[in-house]
Order: sequence, then structure tokens, then C-alpha cells
Amino acid sequence: MNNFSPKITAFLCNWCSYAAADKAASAQKVFPDNMNIIRVMCSGMVDPQYVLAAFKKGADGVMILGCHPGDCHYREGNHKALRRYHLLGKMLAELGIAAERFKLEWVSASEADKFIKVITDMETTLKSLGPINK
Amino acid sequence: MPIKKDKNIKRVGIFVCECGPNIKNALNMEEVVSFAAGLESVVLAKQFSLLCSDTGKNLIKQEIIKQKLNRVVIAACSPREHEITFRKVAQEAGLNPYLVQIANIREHCAWVIKDKDKATQKAKSIIRAALQRVLLHEPLEIKKIDCSPDVLVIGAGMAGMEAALTAAQKGRKVYLVENSPSIGGRTVRCEKIPPKLECASCILEPKMASILHSNNIQLLTYAEIEEALGYFGNYIIKIRKKARSIDMKACIGCGACYEACPVKVKNEYNEGLNERAAIHVPYIGALPNVPVIDRENCLRFKGENCDACARSCPFNAVRFEEQDEILEIKVGSVILATGYDLFNPSRIAEYGYGKFDDVYTNMEFERILNSNGPTEGKIVLKNNKAPNSIAIINCVGSRSREYNNYCSVVCCQQALMFTSMIKEQLPNTKVTNIYSDMCLSGKGSQEFYDQVRGKAVFIHTASPDKTRIRKNLQGKLEVRTASLLGLEKSFDADMVILMTGIVPNKYAAKVAGIFGLCRDQNGFFSEENTKLAPTTTAIKGVLIAGRCQGPKDIESSVAQGASAAGKVLSGLIQGEQIELEAMVAKINEDLCSGCKICVELCPYKAIDFDKEKKVSSVNAALCKGCGVCSSACPSGAIENKNFTPLEIFTEINNFNYE
Repeated sequence: MNNFSPKITAFLCNWCSYAAADKAASAQKVFPDNMNIIRVMCSGMVDPQYVLAAFKKGADGVMILGCHPGDCHYREGNHKALRRYHLLGKMLAELGIAAERFKLEWVSASEADKFIKVITDMETTLKSLGPINK
Repeated sequence: MPIKKDKNIKRVGIFVCECGPNIKNALNMEEVVSFAAGLESVVLAKQFSLLCSDTGKNLIKQEIIKQKLNRVVIAACSPREHEITFRKVAQEAGLNPYLVQIANIREHCAWVIKDKDKATQKAKSIIRAALQRVLLHEPLEIKKIDCSPDVLVIGAGMAGMEAALTAAQKGRKVYLVENSPSIGGRTVRCEKIPPKLECASCILEPKMASILHSNNIQLLTYAEIEEALGYFGNYIIKIRKKARSIDMKACIGCGACYEACPVKVKNEYNEGLNERAAIHVPYIGALPNVPVIDRENCLRFKGENCDACARSCPFNAVRFEEQDEILEIKVGSVILATGYDLFNPSRIAEYGYGKFDDVYTNMEFERILNSNGPTEGKIVLKNNKAPNSIAIINCVGSRSREYNNYCSVVCCQQALMFTSMIKEQLPNTKVTNIYSDMCLSGKGSQEFYDQVRGKAVFIHTASPDKTRIRKNLQGKLEVRTASLLGLEKSFDADMVILMTGIVPNKYAAKVAGIFGLCRDQNGFFSEENTKLAPTTTAIKGVLIAGRCQGPKDIESSVAQGASAAGKVLSGLIQGEQIELEAMVAKINEDLCSGCKICVELCPYKAIDFDKEKKVSSVNAALCKGCGVCSSACPSGAIENKNFTPLEIFTEINNFNYE
């Protein structure tokens, strides 16, 4: 199990969390080896089908990172993301995908450390859960 | 040299940046480049030391032209750093800028994956996803539309006047609409302005005169907004110009009419402290100096046959027959400077406001201090005697759990000014300030406090709601409070001044409704971003300035007024079209079921429902491309240009999941 490197697909909003990832990278932090980052303009742009597609393709975990409530570049897109997150989480459970495999987090542009924390936490969780198919 | 474009044949160039040693040393570059060269539709894969340098940019330009590239992938740093740079390069080479995709192999790979082999595989995965994505990109058109450079400013107080004067440049008309019959807001009704105790009318009158004399400003007093249709660049606004009942051109403001009028009602411009006639100018010195007939109280409009004012007028300027007029104007942007109201202290029974004589609000006391006010500036009690003691109670309705939890910012300085002006006029009168914290923001205010401190008693209380006022057996006002240490204190005062806080204007909800604006939890208009965009709002082309956005001092109101006007000046230029955002939402009418979910979700009110076609449609002038509609559309009828579902699915599917 130690060799298992979980595959994470992360949707990052252009204004906050994508910038936080850039900041973490320029601080020479380490990202999980198997993380695929997809830039979206807003966390509210993430269609639940994108999350399903990522799981279907083989992601062990999916994350949506957006601006903190109240900080959304588009006013309230992150609130919409939050609403969908709760619904989608329930649906994923019905499909047999553990709730821990799907996460929504708020990461502001300045929170490089928080970005690293949420992705490494996710990696740790997924490592303990194991690959999704098994 | 124009390049031939065959839409069906994709010719992609992949440029891999070494970023000095940053990317080069972290990956096996040769492997990455040869992988890229072997991908679908790729006609060129090239490695270069620094693509963002002039040499790098020229290289890309030349290759786009030479190889007739119609798609480009730049494998380099974060798109947040150089996406704009490379889009520009493409454009200069004759390629639509939206046919470029960045593969972020520096921040997402070279810098963060320490194992060289793993990083190399990762870079390949990122490049493949970017390539597959860019193959789907469509060239986007940057649309331009005609617009009106003209501006509507609503509210002629400090912020509105500054906005109007700043915006009133050559070739740009400013409509300044004021609800009351005169301009200058509340500030002009004050005697002095803290902390320098400048004479308010002296500094304001020249400004008001410039408004009245400006060729580019059309001032509409005694008028209100009825309706706003349209969007940024093209608003059509309906204004109700209430009947003033006076011919403004004929009247010279001599005042003969209001002396002749038999009606006497409370004068709201003096906070009800004296009376005025039905035909009146709001206060002495009000501009424009033209009276108005208050039709609610005028005998003639109550059915009597009075024409005292008309008979007294030497210029025949009275117009009983005048009707409200509806004007329709076309403007490109709107600046809201609708001001504020003051907290009503009768809501707090413990202060006895309205019950006891000589308990005044700060605005009432401003009028008492004013040389044109009801007492001509003399500080007197109701019985006309000078008070021997005055208590000033701060934070009335502010910083309280029960009423408004926010600080009103300006009342502390106003209380210090009152203290200073009372001591100047009545050196032997004892002044006691009851406060719970001194808010001394702004230039010169701490120095002002230091200067006034020694002139009065200051009682520091733990909380403003600990203070009570009652009448004692001698009929005197008794102020009871508790010091910071909890010690009960009580003392008599001849006069009490309640420093009421700033609250949203009573018209705020109506105005917000007309323009589709959001309001914050306290009811003030919401700015786009408190720190970075304090004058713009979620609605493009609608700006806010002054206390309608929240409590602030005069200099901030003026600065915000100028800033809002600056946004208008730089945003809409006469004769020039405005460029619209290209990455906007697009609705496929064939797929739209007309459920209107998107209409409700859009934070910018950019989606309208076409009742005839029964489908939604996006107004590209308002859409900011957030994509919240596209992800919510149950029919998949909406796509965000350059972030279409197909493009995102393709990106997801082309990462390496081995």
C-alpha cells in the first residue's frame, strides 16, 4: 500500500486557488505526484458531470477548490459550488464512492500553505482508502 | 503576409520553454519534446530557453507564420503569468488569441515533483491534455458595441457633486438628479467641518456654483428615478421631475412669496426646529435659490382659493398648473451617490428623545450651531436660556448588539467639534462626553482630539447602551451612566446631544431594486470588492460613491465620487466602441428548454428570457464568463466560450491516469 500513489483530479478556480497553487509551487513545495489540475474560471463553473468524468476516468479522489465564501470573484459562484457539492456527495455515496474521495475546500490566493495542506490531506486519506476500484 | 487557414486541418505548434534552468533541469526535455512532436496534428514541437523573452516571442511568431500554425500550445509557466503575453504573440502573428493553450509544466510539474522521471511523465500528460483541448478551441470574436459616454449621477451631496464635476468633461453630458429641491446634501447644512473646523458653506458654495454653471451638467433637482432599462454603455432611464410649481427661469429668489404665504408647517430642513411656509426654499443659502410649493400643505392644493404667493411675486414665476414631468434619458453609466439617513433615537426609549425637551440629535444640533439655522447659531435651550451643562452621548444606535453593530466612523469627530464649538461660544458651560471608544480615523483627527480633550469631561464607558436619561424631581435632565470600571455615575445636564449613527437611506431598497444592486447585511449598497473595487458593483456600469456604500468621512466620500467618475471616464470614451468580454456564455437555442434556472442564477443579470422564443439569451455586454449558468443548465444548452464542457471533459480525459 505504501507504493500506492493516489490519482487526484483537482478543479481550481482561476482567481484564488489556482493562484495559491502557483504560490505554493514558487515556494518549492511538493505536490502529490499524481495530481491533475484543471483550471476553471470559478468553482461555480464545475458541472457535477466533470467530477463524475474524473472518477470514471480513474481518479481515486476529486477536489474542487474555490475562493472563500464572500471572496468569490463572481460574487457567489462558490456558494453554488457548495450547494452542488452536498448533493453530489450524496449521489456519489449511492454509487459506492466514499464521501472522503470528494472534497470541496476554500483556498484563497494567499493561502499557499493551506493549498498544500488540503492536497496532502487528501493524498493521505486516499492512501488509507486505497485505489478506488478495489 | 496573411496565412491561409483551412479550418478542417489542424496544424498545431507546441513550444516547450526551458525557463532557464527551472524547467530544463527538472525534466528530461528531449523526451518531452519528442513526445510532443508525435502527438495528433502537431506539425512542430520546439524547445527554447525562454519563450517570454523577445527572442522567444519572435520565434513563436515566425513559426506560426512559416508553418501556418492554427493552434498553439505553450508548455511553460502558469497561465496566470504569461497567458496574456502569448495570446498577444499569436494575435501579432495573425492567429486568433483564443487558439492558444498554456500547459503549465512549471508550477504544476517542474517545481513541485522532485523525481525527474515522474516529472517528465507528468509534463507529457499535461501537454497532451492541453493539446487535445486546444484542438477544440474556436476562434473567439472580440465584439464591440456603440455606447453613450453620458453619465447619470444620482444624489447631489458631497460624493455626487464630486462625481458630476469630475465626469463633466468636454463631450460628455452629466445628468445630476437630486431628490430634494436643493443640492449639497447634509454637509451644506452644517456650520463647520471637523477636524479643521472649516466653514462648510465657504468650501461648498464654489463647488455648488460650478455645478450650476457647468455647461456639461444638467441638474435636475426635485426629481427621482422611476425606471432603468438596458446595460453598461446603453441605459435608458426614466426620471420623474416633480412639479416645483415655480418657473425656475423667471424666479430670482427674492423671497417675497414665502413671506406672503399664510401656511406654517414644521421645517424639515431645520430638523423641525422651526417653521416654514408651504412655498419655501429649504434653508437660507440653498442652491438653486428657487422656492418650491409643498403641495401637501399648500392651501390652494387643499382646495382653497389662495394665491398669496402668486400675487406677491414680482416676476410672475408661480405655476400652480405645472405637472410632474417624465424625462427619458440615454446614458452609458450610472453613479449612485444617494447618501444616508441617521438612526432614529426614539427607538431607544432610555434616551427620552421626543419625550424630554432639550434632548437633540446631532443633526438638530448642527442646525442650532448654524448661523442660518433656527437660532442663528446661538446655543440656547427651549426656554431661550443658554445651557450651563451639556452632555454628548456617542454611539447612539451604533456598535450595539441590539441596533447596528457597525461603527458610523464620523460621529466621534463631530462630537469633538461640538465640544470645541460649545466651549468657544459658552466657555463656562460644562461639556461631558460619554463614549465607549474614540474612532479617530483620518488626517488630523487624533491631533484634534488632543486639542479638545482638556476642554471637557470625557467619561469612558464599557458600552454605549449603559447610558440612561431621565427627568429628576427638579425637572432637570439626569444622565446616568457607568464608567469603564463599572462605577455608576449620574449628573444633571441642561441639554443632551445624541450622536446618532449613519443608516442606509430610506430609498436604498427602491434604488437597489431599480438597478438590480445587492445590499450588504446592514442595507448599504454592496461594492464589487471592499479593498480593490470599492466603487464598482456587480452590475457593470453602475457605480457607487459616498455613504450609500457605508459610513465614511467626507474626504473618503469625495475621493470615491472622483474615483467613480474616473471609472466612467476611462471606461466609456466618446465615439469609441466598448470591447466586450470574449469568453462569455452562449446559449444553444435548440437545446434550451426555457426553464429559466440560469436567469435566476446569473449574478450579473446578464441572462434574459425571450418570451416569444421561450428561450434564455445572454447579453454579452454584461456576462463576465463565470460559467455558473453552464454548469447548472439541465439541458446542457449553455457553454462558456473557451471553457466549454467538451473542452473540459477532453482535458479531464487526456491526463494520464495510469
